[in-house]
Amino acid sequence: MIDSLCDRAGKENIVVAGIYCDFLSEQEQTTTNIMGSILKQLIGRWEIPYYLRNAFHKAEMELDSRGPPLVDLMEMLKTAIASLPRVFICLDALDECLPTHLPRLLDSLRVIVRDSPKTRVFLTGRPHVRENVQRYFPKAVVIPISPNTDHIRDYVEMRLDRDPEPEAMSEDLRAGIMKVILEKASEL
Amino acid sequence: MDLVNSQFRPIIWDRNNTFNKFNEGAQILRWLSPLEPYNRHQTVRADRFDGGGDWLLEMREFREWRCSEGGTDKAVLFCSGNPGAGKTYLRYVAGFFGRSEYH
Repeated sequence: MIDSLCDRAGKENIVVAGIYCDFLSEQEQTTTNIMGSILKQLIGRWEIPYYLRNAFHKAEMELDSRGPPLVDLMEMLKTAIASLPRVFICLDALDECLPTHLPRLLDSLRVIVRDSPKTRVFLTGRPHVRENVQRYFPKAVVIPISPNTDHIRDYVEMRLDRDPEPEAMSEDLRAGIMKVILEKASEL
Repeated sequence: MDLVNSQFRPIIWDRNNTFNKFNEGAQILRWLSPLEPYNRHQTVRADRFDGGGDWLLEMREFREWRCSEGGTDKAVLFCSGNPGAGKTYLRYVAGFFGRSEYH
């Protein structure tokens, strides 16, 4: 299946960086931190590149304990991506990113895609952030996701089969659980 | 390759250099960003149910996005859905194909 994705799939080297925009840590989810985290993941497999080492030593010399500013991170990202074969950036749950951060985040992604055209961006979010995404990426491919009841049924059956106390389960209870879960899922 | 364990690996492992090098690498990574995005992926992976997101990989739109050569026209794919629809899982699937090919 994976090989069928793309004729060249097996020959390609791909690097994936992903962020989950978790509302629990939304104060930390500034665009700067997110871009820094993406960069960290892109270089994470190898030795730290010299330009990052240099920038770090410079900040150390200046006794600046803060991380690099966004404008510097964007340049570093450009350099990092240029040295990699293909880069996928995944940002999950965009709607959980603070509304005040979202425009800057999307704008930064736009700059990355513009300057490093081999980058592919995978975003997920609730339908209401679609407008934001399309403002920065008018040609973004949008795929609506809805729960697939067949998959949910299979999953619930698998979980019920693993019940550590099967003696407490009856056919009626099992059917009831399935009915309620599928009803709730169809409301999503 | 496991992203968690591969965050930083000193290439040269010698007596004089190793610890400084390792510490500095870790320091630089922390300096770049305090965010550690890996934990969530591990949870999603642990909870993974086979086959739940494979349909996405087979979609024409996904394949075109995945295989398109350069340019900004098809650079971005946005999966839109309400909570519980399986978006986080799809993100895992999308990340998985990339990682599994990397080895």
